[in-house]
Amino acid sequence: MRGRPLLHTSYEADQALLNTTAKRVMLGIFLLILVSIPFQIVPGLKFLGEDDWLRLLATTAIFSVGALGLNILIGLAGQVSLGHSFFMGVGAYTAVWLGGSVDGPLIGLGLPIWIWLPAAGVVAAVVGLLIGPTAVRVRGLYLGIVTLGLVFIGEYVFRNWDSLTGGGQIGRDFPPLQLRIWKEAEPIVDLTSPGSWLGVDISGNGKTFLVLTIGTVVFALLAKNLQRTRVGRALMSIRDRDVAAEIMGVDEFRYKMVAFGISSFYAGVAGALLASFVRRESPEGWDLFLSVEFIAIILIGGAGTVTGALLGSAFIVLLPRVVEDFTHWLRAIAVDGDGIFAAIANLFVATSSTDFGLVNAIAGVGPGLSVAQLNLVIYGLLIIGFLIFEPLGLYGIWLRVRNYWKGWPFTY
Amino acid sequence: MRKKSKWLALLLVLGLVLAACGDGEGGDTTTTAVAEEPTTTAGEEEMTTTTAAGEEPAEIATDVGVDLEAGTITIGLLSDLSGPFSPLVQVIVAGHEMYWAKVNADGGINGLTVQVETRDTEYDTPTHVQRYEELKGEVVAFGHSTGSPQTIAINADLQADGILAVPLTWYSGWSDPAINANLVPHGVPYCIESMNMIEYLTQQAPDAATIAIATDEGDYGEDSSAGAMIVAEALGLEVAYDGTARINARDEATLAEVASGITGSDADLVWVTTNSVAFGAIYGQAFAAGFSGALWSGAGPSWSPALVAPDSVISEPLSNDFYVSAYYAPWAADSPGNQEVRELVEAAGAPPLDFYAEGVIEAKIMEQALRAAYDAGDMTQAGVLAAAKSLETVAFDGLAPDETYVGEPNDRVQRAQFISRPDPAGLADGTSTGVTLIESMYTSPLGASFEFTETCFSLS
Repeated sequence: MRGRPLLHTSYEADQALLNTTAKRVMLGIFLLILVSIPFQIVPGLKFLGEDDWLRLLATTAIFSVGALGLNILIGLAGQVSLGHSFFMGVGAYTAVWLGGSVDGPLIGLGLPIWIWLPAAGVVAAVVGLLIGPTAVRVRGLYLGIVTLGLVFIGEYVFRNWDSLTGGGQIGRDFPPLQLRIWKEAEPIVDLTSPGSWLGVDISGNGKTFLVLTIGTVVFALLAKNLQRTRVGRALMSIRDRDVAAEIMGVDEFRYKMVAFGISSFYAGVAGALLASFVRRESPEGWDLFLSVEFIAIILIGGAGTVTGALLGSAFIVLLPRVVEDFTHWLRAIAVDGDGIFAAIANLFVATSSTDFGLVNAIAGVGPGLSVAQLNLVIYGLLIIGFLIFEPLGLYGIWLRVRNYWKGWPFTY
Repeated sequence: MRKKSKWLALLLVLGLVLAACGDGEGGDTTTTAVAEEPTTTAGEEEMTTTTAAGEEPAEIATDVGVDLEAGTITIGLLSDLSGPFSPLVQVIVAGHEMYWAKVNADGGINGLTVQVETRDTEYDTPTHVQRYEELKGEVVAFGHSTGSPQTIAINADLQADGILAVPLTWYSGWSDPAINANLVPHGVPYCIESMNMIEYLTQQAPDAATIAIATDEGDYGEDSSAGAMIVAEALGLEVAYDGTARINARDEATLAEVASGITGSDADLVWVTTNSVAFGAIYGQAFAAGFSGALWSGAGPSWSPALVAPDSVISEPLSNDFYVSAYYAPWAADSPGNQEVRELVEAAGAPPLDFYAEGVIEAKIMEQALRAAYDAGDMTQAGVLAAAKSLETVAFDGLAPDETYVGEPNDRVQRAQFISRPDPAGLADGTSTGVTLIESMYTSPLGASFEFTETCFSLS
């Protein structure tokens, strides 16, 4: 019925992922805007079409894929996992084993992307399936410690397996994001160099961004769909009370393995994409901090929801850049402006080595924190703040805003 | 459900068609080193005829980083300002800024003032690549790029975008023509440094017959080891302990392992390449275990004056055993170049430190390149690169050995360096930065005769 969007009269309508017109329209507009970003059409968002922002947005897309996987594990199945970076590393090194260059002293078979990218996911998933059974024996904090151990085992193996990873501190080049049929010299589609699609010029970063966005949409759709399938319902029942679920007939062992498997698949693909996008990575890159970043994404975005994973990724990846731009803006006010605002800005920002300030405006000069350190501080504060005040994360904030306006002006 | 999957399938097919349609025919896979115009709103392409600050009109081509109307040139610095090398790099960046301030005060590059844009790369490769992407549309060249793996990561981009960078590392690959098309290195590479220093040690201890080698994992340590192995073989030294790539500065267990390996080897010479904190730990543990009578040395960054600070336990034995290797002259050296550095630093009211010299050296190379590019009338990114790669002599007035960027790799690779002894007394009373120079512009016989055609140690 029109005007009653939440009145469903069929099973399909009830189970629909986009069950209201508003959702469909907003999603459509959002996707259109995303696609237009590299072409710098939308006024006000043109700055996003510059190479460095496109790289950030492409990184957001890759992190989203990883976050979606972790969301299935933590948000849907309720299993604590600090080992996400380990599975990403496994995926990345599988990708480089299969797709890495054949010349040179390191292992590489030179196979095309349509082999190494899915293989990265599959191999990571198999490793995840092997870890799955431990989740049956331990849960909560103890499972967290077990998965934490994975990260360190991974770091050790990667650092010492020089012929695959290049060795500690050195690293190696990862296969570029190019599509070939087999091992031809020229790729059919090359995401690393500029070109023209449908007659419009677009940079390498723009192409990468578009392709990764499409990939993320697909993965998000799959993750969202998982929630309404049998597997999804089983995982949610395990999250809520795994003993009760077992009694009801949900096979705990099998579904915990499935949760780890699916989540590791996502992580493997994300790891392979991340390494190929950055082009060169050393074994130290797959460390505990990366895992914690993903936990932060899930917590800040909102555990258990696909939107939350996407919001959290965008937030965490774009935050450092936003903080830096904000610092520069504050510095401009402190230096060039006058009045009360300039004074307040000056308090926050150290414009030279002798000026007092919380943050150094010029990199490396001054008594305050560097922008990188400020980011870490903000990270920690955000995680604590969200856990205390808004456990549902950014998605929770969005829900509150939406519900307020839904009932407006009868907000009580 | 079926309707939805149809839409999804349509979307995916559309995506594939889109992708294939564009790049398929003709293809513009510019994977070779073609200078490409960066797509950005910051830089403009202009051929301007302009009077630069009242001088005779000149036609200077510019694209990115040089603004003839505003009279500015922008140089980028990719610096480690919060990672493991931040204490050194912050001082190096300050050295750059002091030098450019002086150049600007003296009229700049034919009237154009030079501005420095520094970005913190945190010694992290993805961040380094990100910073490069941010700056490549704003700067005409990179005054330094910190870290070997990080510089290798942007090397392909530097070549594709046609931009110059000065590496802030001494990896021998930067002198290898297969790698260094867009790089202008300075200072003796780690591998030849090992040859110079170890041969010098054998001259101080002619009866030495055995050597222990321990280095960091990574390009820094392994390049240094490669040189040490070459010189050990050439001089007939027996390698009593080989700890190549065994040191991991963050893992105490590796430091203990290496220290016990050195102690047990009973070697006459010890070559340890790592950072100064790890070096201090290794030396201290070996000394405590009773190891003595050997001569120690290592690559430049293994040393720090803090090792002979008044409160340092190892200060006395170290000052007897250790020889300090350096790529440029220490603070108190007597040369016009050093005098210039001292004046700059004292004018800025900063404390004496050796590292300012490194910043000044890098800035001087860039200054020469910019002046040559101006004289050639081409201050585009590609023009500055070409100018730098054609510099025959870059002189530093005694601060560092001359560099040249033309000619055969074997002829132009830097082989000269500086050797000092620790000076705890001078550090304690403030008369020196902890070292006393004993050899200036030194090259050992083996370092001079070594045939350099490619990198000593391959990074991938």
